[in-house]
Amino acid sequence: MKYLSLIVLLALITLTGCRADYDIEEVAPPEHLAETHEHDHVHTETEDHHEHDDEECSICAETHDQEHVHEHDDDAISASDRHVHEAGERNHGTEWFFNQPWAARFIWSKMIRDIVILTVLAAIILLASRFRLRKKR
Amino acid sequence: MKPVMTFALMTLRSLLRRRTIWGISIVILLALFGIGQIPGYDVSNEGRFILDFGLFGLEIGALLLAIGLAANIYPRDREQKTVMPLIAIPLSRGQYLMGRFIGAAMVQAAAMLVGCIGLMVILLLNGHPIPADLFPATCLLLVEGWFLLAVVFFFSFWTSPPLNAPLTVLLFILSQMSVSGFISILPGAEGFMRFLRLLLPHMDVFHIKDPIAHGVGIPGVYFLLAALYGLAYMSFMLSIALAVFRSRDLK
Repeated sequence: MKYLSLIVLLALITLTGCRADYDIEEVAPPEHLAETHEHDHVHTETEDHHEHDDEECSICAETHDQEHVHEHDDDAISASDRHVHEAGERNHGTEWFFNQPWAARFIWSKMIRDIVILTVLAAIILLASRFRLRKKR
Repeated sequence: MKPVMTFALMTLRSLLRRRTIWGISIVILLALFGIGQIPGYDVSNEGRFILDFGLFGLEIGALLLAIGLAANIYPRDREQKTVMPLIAIPLSRGQYLMGRFIGAAMVQAAAMLVGCIGLMVILLLNGHPIPADLFPATCLLLVEGWFLLAVVFFFSFWTSPPLNAPLTVLLFILSQMSVSGFISILPGAEGFMRFLRLLLPHMDVFHIKDPIAHGVGIPGVYFLLAALYGLAYMSFMLSIALAVFRSRDLK
């Protein structure tokens, strides 16, 4: 019993599969995190904005000798960067939401691993403490 | 099993006679009532906030219940010397622990059920629909509460009563941390901190208030997996508690 417990404990300590913890950002497969950087979003650049840009461009063209340089001020840049994602999809703004265990299926196997390990450990501790108690008596 | 259940029912009756359980249950219901009074300020889906805060309140309630129910059971038995005749003949130490634990767990389950019903009533009174996953979410918080109950039993065998509550709260806080956050407490000993974190449960497994509040569906198998995960940690903690209890000299 003593040796069996020792072997199981040593196996748990040495096997890397048993030591890997699951901080989701650490163990996530690349494709899970890569979704964050995909930009399959819809830009909210409106027709009005384009018209405004065109107007600005025509003014620019007049003042700067017909140069076609699109110089945007800060407001124009932030406005063109604004975009809308589909509801319920993983993106750069919702990664915290999808980095939770219920959404990260790849850690479910590690949860099963923990269930098995903890049950085995609990059984070993129970048997070892009973063995010790009997020996004491 | 019969002696354990008889002793568990005795524990249940004795706990219900105490004022602690009623006090904590009233505090939980008052907190839920307060959450229901938060003005919506015309924000769409105000129900999200009620659900989010409500489930958080139930989680804190589970922690308070675990401490309030179990922290004094063994020290009181030992002080009043009732533990000696109990484990002398009718019960083994394991049966004593299981009886006490099951009794306290039943009280905690009843209190959490009342809390869940309270949250449902508050949602209805505010004109919000009740999400289908609210009851399973409360069940997961109950499993988390049972784990904390096992932790309180372990500390009650291992340390003095005044230390029990702070240590349990500390373990509760540490279990909420991510691995990287936990390592940042002591960055010099990364390996040791990783090992320690591995022994603690990931409490975020039991937190599904965000998807429920946002109406995102959760696979049914996840509830089963998370419940088993919590029960495995609970049995691990109970086995350590029993090992400590067996090594104690009660004379």
